[in-house]
Amino acid sequence: MSGRIIEVNQRKVQVLERGSGAPLLYLHGFADVHSVKENWLPFHEKLTERSRVIAPAHPGCAGTDENKDIENVEDVVFHYLEVLDALKLVQFDLVGSCVGGWIAAEFAVRHPEKIRNLVLIGAPGLFVEGALIGDVFMMAQPEYGSSYASLREMLFAGCDQVNALDMFPDGKGELEDEVRRYQMLRLSSRIGFKPPYFYNYSLRNRLHRVTSPTLVLWGEKDNFVPRSHGETYAKRIPGAELTIVHGAGHSAHVERPEETARLILEFLSR
Amino acid sequence: MKPVQLFCWHFMAYPYLDKDFDEKEYTGWVTVPNRLWDNGKTRGLYQEYIDQLAYADDLGFDGMVLNEHHQNIYGLMPSPNLIAAALSQRTSRGKIVILGNLLPLHLNPMRVAEEYAMLDQMSDGRLIAGFAPGGGPETFNYDVPSANTREKFWEAADLIVRSWTEDGPFAHEGRYFPLRYVNLWPKPLQKPFPPVWIPGSRSPSTMTEVAKRGYCYFLSSRSHGGETHRAQQEFAAVLEKHGDKYHPFRFGILMSTYVGETDRQAREECEEGVWYFLKNCLKGHLRREGRQLTYGPGIPYIPAAAWREYLKSHKPGRKLLGDVENWDELDASQSIIVGSPETVTRRIQNLIEKAKVGNLLIQFQLGNMPNHLARKSMKLFAEKVAPALRHDSFTYFDKEYPGVTLERSMEAVH
Repeated sequence: MSGRIIEVNQRKVQVLERGSGAPLLYLHGFADVHSVKENWLPFHEKLTERSRVIAPAHPGCAGTDENKDIENVEDVVFHYLEVLDALKLVQFDLVGSCVGGWIAAEFAVRHPEKIRNLVLIGAPGLFVEGALIGDVFMMAQPEYGSSYASLREMLFAGCDQVNALDMFPDGKGELEDEVRRYQMLRLSSRIGFKPPYFYNYSLRNRLHRVTSPTLVLWGEKDNFVPRSHGETYAKRIPGAELTIVHGAGHSAHVERPEETARLILEFLSR
Repeated sequence: MKPVQLFCWHFMAYPYLDKDFDEKEYTGWVTVPNRLWDNGKTRGLYQEYIDQLAYADDLGFDGMVLNEHHQNIYGLMPSPNLIAAALSQRTSRGKIVILGNLLPLHLNPMRVAEEYAMLDQMSDGRLIAGFAPGGGPETFNYDVPSANTREKFWEAADLIVRSWTEDGPFAHEGRYFPLRYVNLWPKPLQKPFPPVWIPGSRSPSTMTEVAKRGYCYFLSSRSHGGETHRAQQEFAAVLEKHGDKYHPFRFGILMSTYVGETDRQAREECEEGVWYFLKNCLKGHLRREGRQLTYGPGIPYIPAAAWREYLKSHKPGRKLLGDVENWDELDASQSIIVGSPETVTRRIQNLIEKAKVGNLLIQFQLGNMPNHLARKSMKLFAEKVAPALRHDSFTYFDKEYPGVTLERSMEAVH
């Protein structure tokens, strides 16, 4: 196992950490470190040029213990309050991708004072009428017993992209990658499956509480969380801006790692 | 000792799909378009199916089996309790087995406790109460999060049995269904409570929970190669571990059959219904074609460690029952046993002895099989197969399980 294990409220939490500089907490999504891959992706390595990047695995993901009491996103936010205590992080930059972006937004409306800069990448979490979030659980059921093409199509701009095929190959994938994928779906089922589906109705009416500079990044062709969700985040968070990553789908940090990291580094350097 | 118990299971398939359904439609489950429902044809369909079940009672079957499904063409019984209520008034002898109510789909388990208690009273104590957690399709139909389904399920099942056995009012301090005043009216008729059956698909944790409580384990697999025998051995070992002893009536299986006058006639008569069932009804459930929704990573209800074990031996894209391409393959799966009374008797008796199983839950009506053929097959079975099975199984069980008493062991029940 890479990284280290810290103990939080009698549970183990796996944390990857690299780089020096201002602390940056990274919360992962579906196509990501901890949810597929054991180690950093090129995107994260790029961020370490400027920041001390700290990436904990969510409850039940990778080497982090499962917590059966987690029933909604609020429980995950509380878990992260305790993780921050354990890491002695008082103020930090917060970057969340996909489900990690939702958790980041929920965290930011509750504890805006802790966050220096906020970056959301393809984050679900909002109710936007007429713009349903995709059913990642159904897409995670293979077609013809072995094809994950529709899952790749949902999480990436296209199902035959090299990165998509590497993370979600057809047939039998690398065993531990498949287990991590499963763990991430299991956590997501706790917080995102029950109606409402991957959102918290109250969140959009709380976004005005965010006080940090905020960058909202969205892949040009996000097939999981429609772009109108990004537009809503940008509209409701004071001073936030929406930037589209061209050529990317839902997983901009995997599909366009250089560009996505560059946009974030530029934003953090302002 | 008693002979093998023979139950008639009806799934109540939607039988009016066009011949090109498989070609045109992606699935038979969850999202199968309901514009295909044809009100012009479906009048009287439930009546026909209920009549078939009542006919099973007339023919001397030991009981009738119903189960719960939603949004599919495989089983038109979102509420099996409604059909059970009808049967309680149409029949007078056989058990009414509901296998089962899907507990995580009910907001309050007391609703199931109440309806089952009513059915036990209405049927004069003939209810066999099945509880099931539901599989993938129900997860999608009713938006039931998978990760805590199992815990919710056992809390609900235990609460229901407690409400049947313990005087109320009492408070239930549960994680998922906390209730202040549990006080069941009516109570079930059977004492200490109706027999409880729980379906499973060989997961050790389900077998363990069933063994702890002294319930009957029902294997939900549709194929009966070596796996059924292995399931029986595994369950027997789990019972042993819990200080209990296996006997054939702790275990049940689902199978299908068609009996005709001769092997050839049987096959000719049932073939259309069989292929309709395999290719249409199983599409989305036990076929690779389209998207199988019954089991998999999108329905993450087993813990990650158990999933890792499953992946180690998993062969992605392997053939499922509905993927069989010809009659010989189907025959080898021992899922649907077709033939003359002699053939069917021989093959089922062989299955009983191999799997040491005392409860056979048998599906007669398959897919779009016409009413008269389903009834003819049931009649031939009851008259020419059942007597031999009862005789031979009694002899066999008596020899294999001498001195077994059939009172349910209740010590382990909370």
